[in-house]
Amino acid sequence: MNIQEYIESGILEEYALGVLDAAQRAEVERYAAEYPAVQQELDLIQQGLESYAQAHTQNPPAGMRERVLAGFQAAIRQPEAAAPVAVAAEPVVRSIASAQPGEAEAAGFNWLMAASVALLVLSAAANLILYNRWQSSETQLVALQADQSRVASTMQAVEKRLDTRTQELAVLRSEQFNAVELAGTPVAPEAKARVLYNKATKAVYVDVRNLPTLPEGKQYQLWAMDKGKPVDAGMLAAATTAGDSLQQMKNIANAEAFAMTVEPAGGSENPTMETMTVLGKF
Amino acid sequence: MSPTTPESPTSVTEDLLVQRLRARDESAMTLFYDKYSSALYGVILRIVKTEEVAEDVLQESLVKIWNSFQSYDASKGRLFTWVLNVSRNLAIDKIRSRQYRVSSRTQPLEESAALRQAATPTFRPEHIGLQEMTSKLNPEQKQIIDLLYFGGFTQSEVAEELNLPLGTVKTRARAAIKVLAKLIR
Repeated sequence: MNIQEYIESGILEEYALGVLDAAQRAEVERYAAEYPAVQQELDLIQQGLESYAQAHTQNPPAGMRERVLAGFQAAIRQPEAAAPVAVAAEPVVRSIASAQPGEAEAAGFNWLMAASVALLVLSAAANLILYNRWQSSETQLVALQADQSRVASTMQAVEKRLDTRTQELAVLRSEQFNAVELAGTPVAPEAKARVLYNKATKAVYVDVRNLPTLPEGKQYQLWAMDKGKPVDAGMLAAATTAGDSLQQMKNIANAEAFAMTVEPAGGSENPTMETMTVLGKF
Repeated sequence: MSPTTPESPTSVTEDLLVQRLRARDESAMTLFYDKYSSALYGVILRIVKTEEVAEDVLQESLVKIWNSFQSYDASKGRLFTWVLNVSRNLAIDKIRSRQYRVSSRTQPLEESAALRQAATPTFRPEHIGLQEMTSKLNPEQKQIIDLLYFGGFTQSEVAEELNLPLGTVKTRARAAIKVLAKLIR
């Protein structure tokens, strides 16, 4: 191996530039260690390149010295902070102070994590219980709403009946109404009814005490006898016939007697006299 | 120098600095900073182009020099050679990690403030100004040295970039460094 040729091959310049791979670098270093001439040439090349680098010297901006040195101090203390034993041995108080918050932070984080998980589990359990309660409340509410609407409609019916009764009572207690007792004819001796007649308002009410049950298609018809002539006073409803309540009939201008006959459903223009069930006069 | 007077950057020798750094003396890094920061900052700034990034890289360099000081082998070269390469490699990593290359590769060195700035005397009594050095290099040599040394380019990348045969790039690089070496011979 010719040393002079090696020196002039240019590999030392490449070494100084840092463009060689690891194996080539090792080779150069081996030759430099073995041959002082190679080392001398390499030093010269490196110094030449360093001079070039140094020629680019820049005075750093103001304040950079403090920033960089402080940053360096902080950076080289970071790995020590990870090892508490080394920190304890370190006489610098600053680094202990910087180490402990880090550990406390980690411990705090773990604790917070555990607390968060526990809270999550508790919250989920509470949610399940509340959901079940809500479900049964919902069912109860539906049942109660059904009850309530049933009670309300019953109430409505009761009020309506109360109205009717109040009205009937008013008619029965009124001094303006004259009561005419209708007694049973030979056709139906047990039959009994009453007509309440207000001469002033011409209002007529029927109050049935007892009337024979009629076959299908037949209905009682009330007649007013005015100067011997029968005047239609209206058909009795089934409920009236059964004696359930008073029934207001057609207004009658004048009457001296009332009678009921059995007529086909819907009534007749003239009474079928042989079916007359009750009759009464003032 | 009397032992009681504060150490000044130029008074501390490289050997003493190496000795104290090896002994893990943190205060030696302040001396180190005062002795080498201008030179390192200039090189880093030349590579990364912006002052903020250069400051970051300089700080990272100090940390790396401190943390990996046991890998410095004085028998293989001077301290400055080693720290210069540490800083230069960190700066090149920086520009390779970001998209620096596209925007900076065509920027001529002549626009750099470094060229106009008078060289500041630092630790090298034989320090030579940039203008004096570049006047000895021909433009082709200078371009190749700048791409290799400050651009983080490999020789193959320089060949591709300049559209030259790889052999030519190698020849010019060697020639350029021979010129630089001769200047201090």
